[in-house]
Amino acid sequence: MTAESSQGRQAAQDPRRGSPVPLWAGVMIAGLAAMTVVLLGLLAVSIMERRWETQRPALVVQPLAEWEPNSAAWGQNYPVEYESYLRTRVTDTKTKYGGSYPRDYLEADPYQVILFAGYGFTAEYRQARGHYYAIEDVTKTKRLKTPFNAATCWTCKSTDVPRLMSQMGIKEFYAANFHDLAKEITHPIGCQDCHDPQTLRLRITRPALKEAFAALGRDINAATHQEMRSLVCAQCHVEYYFRTDEKAGLKNYLIFPWGKGTTLEEILAYYDGQNFSDYVHTVSGTRIIKAQHPDYELYLTGIHAFRNVSCADCHMPYHTEGGVKYTDHHVQSPLLNVANSCAVCHRWGEDEIRTRVESIQTKVEKAKLAAEDALVHGHFDVAAAGQAGASAEELGNARQLLRRAQFRWDFIAANNGMGFHSPQESMRLLGEAANLAQQARIDAARVLAKRGITAPPQYPDISTRQKAWEVAQAFAGGQGIGLLP
Amino acid sequence: MDIVGRVNSIVTLAGLPRFLQIGVYSLVDAGVGLAVLLARIANATSYLSDDPQTCINCHVMTDAYASWQRGSHGRVAVCIDCHVPHSSIVAKYAYKARDGLKHSYVFTTRSEPQVLNLSTPAMPVVQANCVRCHSHQVMRVASAGPQRQCWDCHQNIHGNVRSLSASPIELRPGLPDAGLEWMKKGDEG
Repeated sequence: MTAESSQGRQAAQDPRRGSPVPLWAGVMIAGLAAMTVVLLGLLAVSIMERRWETQRPALVVQPLAEWEPNSAAWGQNYPVEYESYLRTRVTDTKTKYGGSYPRDYLEADPYQVILFAGYGFTAEYRQARGHYYAIEDVTKTKRLKTPFNAATCWTCKSTDVPRLMSQMGIKEFYAANFHDLAKEITHPIGCQDCHDPQTLRLRITRPALKEAFAALGRDINAATHQEMRSLVCAQCHVEYYFRTDEKAGLKNYLIFPWGKGTTLEEILAYYDGQNFSDYVHTVSGTRIIKAQHPDYELYLTGIHAFRNVSCADCHMPYHTEGGVKYTDHHVQSPLLNVANSCAVCHRWGEDEIRTRVESIQTKVEKAKLAAEDALVHGHFDVAAAGQAGASAEELGNARQLLRRAQFRWDFIAANNGMGFHSPQESMRLLGEAANLAQQARIDAARVLAKRGITAPPQYPDISTRQKAWEVAQAFAGGQGIGLLP
Repeated sequence: MDIVGRVNSIVTLAGLPRFLQIGVYSLVDAGVGLAVLLARIANATSYLSDDPQTCINCHVMTDAYASWQRGSHGRVAVCIDCHVPHSSIVAKYAYKARDGLKHSYVFTTRSEPQVLNLSTPAMPVVQANCVRCHSHQVMRVASAGPQRQCWDCHQNIHGNVRSLSASPIELRPGLPDAGLEWMKKGDEG
């Protein structure tokens, strides 16, 4: 019998000293104590980490070259922003009118097949996916022409573009063949498009915006940081056209039509002054201007621009994670992030905000569809007048009206956000579009009446994309279909 | 067996091998030391005070602090004047404890929302505190009709734009000292 166990028995006999603790309980007590120490340690580490995260200096792990196109290289220095940028890979987000999935506009709205008859958009027109897919999507669209397509189409698709422009020259870049540059262009829209690699300050890398500012008599270098948070987007999310002028040595030169200003009337006046059109409508023979995506121009007429709210404030809201404040680089519809975008200023419930936005968009959509209806019938009416033997001179006024109407409609239809960038301006332009298209129809009806035709034309069935496509094809072939009653 | 005896034997770890006794006592001592450190770096005692700096012991309230500091209330009131009940000292500390535990849980698990709104239990507290100071101004409003909250109209007490990121970096105060500054001195030399 050892000394220890005899001590234990003595202890058991003395009630004040208590009974011995069994070994298993001792081990458990030790385990509990160890666990408590570990948990306390973890908590202490967590608190210290959270205290220090604001003081952590921005660490430049890898210095960046002047035209570093690879966003992953930037991501080594700026991991939080890069990780959020990578989420532009998401392709399954849906809002009522937007989101990141490639919504097929022609399937949803066959009237547009007729409205774009004579232009690539009649074959394919999808909602763009996230920035991450810019290169893949531009090389896959059916609108891309072979063997030659303007290299200008690369301008807004890749971080390789500024480097190529500096190597080749701006004019030469635009004049090149899209397909010849395909090997050089591999990195989709990314960090370098908007940021200076040394200082991370926002900077304009696309010459078209600088030139457009110069044409407006404004100095883009004088822009404030808050303005730059919209202007970097305005490098691409604007109305533009390609100018070919052999005398000036320009081929497919990218220009924003802002010479007279950025409102619809000023842009249209500029185009009229250039006698510009994108295509001749194969149904009505109208010289049409295709609006691109004048998001920035429309935004300028809205309340958010008036209040100096930038694109980034809603589409890339600030985010605070612990002590670190950063800009969310997952560029997306604010409706997918209402709490952090809208609710920062509009302090209502998320559902209430969403309902409000969608009710505005739904009204714009209805006005848009009404304008489309008038436009489509306008094109057929003018075509019917042509089939009745009307001369180009007789139809000139109606075609001019259709040109003005369709550009107004497209200015809103091609915009992202179903008019939300400026709801009042959207409704005004769609109302004017419907009115001008109806005036064109009256004009065509008078021309027909002069020839004794007073019954309405026989409008073809364009209720599905396929049917509309066949009608558009018939007119593209020059035959058309008989519209006269 | 009597309770005194059992407690005594557990505290003295009677009957356990010596190495286990030493081990347990060391661990408990380490735990106590860590708890003291934790209390210091978390500014634990500050939570008993009325100091508004207490509320920015972590980062979540930084914007609320910056907007308060530069607002009209920054000259006459501190955080707890509005956000903690003043009906009795028991109510005050019970509320602080309940809210504080919730806040520390949310911040530790990084589940804080980007835009803060008053929680439902906080509403009557803040409303009562508005009236506490402004009673002479609101007497007639209160008797005029259905219950409304002061901030239904006065929405900009913490500024018009509200989120954890709303205030510019220059206006954001740093965290209060945690008593560990002496550790950094070595680096400076």
